[in-house]
Amino acid sequence: MIRVLLADDHAIVLEGLRALLDGEPDIKVAAWTTDGTDVVRLVEQHKPDVVVLDLELTSIKGTEVIAALRERTTPPRVLVLTAYNDGESLRSALDAGAEGLALKTESPQQTLTAIRQVHAGQLVFPQAARRWIEGRAGGGTPGELTPREREVWALVAGGLTNPQIAERLGLSDNTVKFHVQHLFSKLGVKNRTEAALKYARGR
Amino acid sequence: MTEVRDAEARAASRRLLATSERELQRIVLDMHDGPVQDIFAALSHLQVLERALAADPTAAQRAAQAVRLLERALGEIRNFIGAFRPPGFERRELGQIIEGLAVQHETLTEQAVELELPGELGDCALPTKIAIYRILQEALANGHRHSGATRQRVSVERRGLVIALTVSDDGRGFEPQRVLAREEDVGVEGGHFGLRGIQDRVEMLGGTFTLESAPGRGTSLTVELPAE
Repeated sequence: MIRVLLADDHAIVLEGLRALLDGEPDIKVAAWTTDGTDVVRLVEQHKPDVVVLDLELTSIKGTEVIAALRERTTPPRVLVLTAYNDGESLRSALDAGAEGLALKTESPQQTLTAIRQVHAGQLVFPQAARRWIEGRAGGGTPGELTPREREVWALVAGGLTNPQIAERLGLSDNTVKFHVQHLFSKLGVKNRTEAALKYARGR
Repeated sequence: MTEVRDAEARAASRRLLATSERELQRIVLDMHDGPVQDIFAALSHLQVLERALAADPTAAQRAAQAVRLLERALGEIRNFIGAFRPPGFERRELGQIIEGLAVQHETLTEQAVELELPGELGDCALPTKIAIYRILQEALANGHRHSGATRQRVSVERRGLVIALTVSDDGRGFEPQRVLAREEDVGVEGGHFGLRGIQDRVEMLGGTFTLESAPGRGTSLTVELPAE
């Protein structure tokens, strides 16, 4: 069961999303609020897996809420829900450390899908945002591993977690998640165990 | 005397540029606070309804149709907001704004933009920043819409007292004179202002505009604008 907390200035959006999510067998709306300053307290109380958060809150900046959540020992995953699909919103969400971004100018079904993806540990950002996640990299040829991905692969095979890899390589958690995702898709594996097996079999 | 009047006219044009961006900002904000939230919420309810109506195929079909219509309306608003929302001109430096625009274009078109941006580009005057942003936006959109290009390149650099922007592609190209002549009497079309609009913006700021293109040979557009 995915426990979700919804935070949005617009009560009508909360009401709509609650109705939609309540109909899903694998999702439970644990709490909701129209007041951004209330999010941290509610997270403490309800311990949701995923926080769906509008960036355009009036009482507090959405990015500040994310920063406060990051300080918890087990931070929830954060899915930013915004009407703006421009570079600036994308950048703010990424820099703040959100795991994904969904748009209010797309079907609520997409939000639903993004909640599941974020919960499953995926980073849900448009492909174009990789420019910022990887730093200024142009990206390697699809199918071929970049030197960084090889490095990450070796560490995944060595049993390190993403935060451990991030620390070892001096990268942000999001960057490591991004590399791991790409690594898996290029290797055609579903999880860390399969990636490690493939590594052990001589790559 | 004429010089003084020219300078005054130019200063007025610059103020106008900033004012029109502020107006856009307000319109986008109204769309954001009103229709976007309402439609998104309505869609959520409709999708619940659609499922609840599963036993009644005719009614479910109607609900599905309503969902499609609202999704289309939202899509149009998305394009509108994407095209018109000013990117925080006063808070962000030129380089950040350009990078943001490139990413936005890539997201919308799923095509890569090669971006050449020197680290020491620095910032520039507000009217120039606005003009560079709107010109780049138009050039990228044109390149994508009309040229069939597979590669679009953008480079921005500071050359002494001017900021130079070059946008090029490997698309099918065109005859600049013919396109410019055709646009002569055309106003704002589909929210975009075309090559003529780019030229107008450049002239307003006393910059230069160079367009190189020929059928089958790609297109390269360069504008130079005063940095301050």
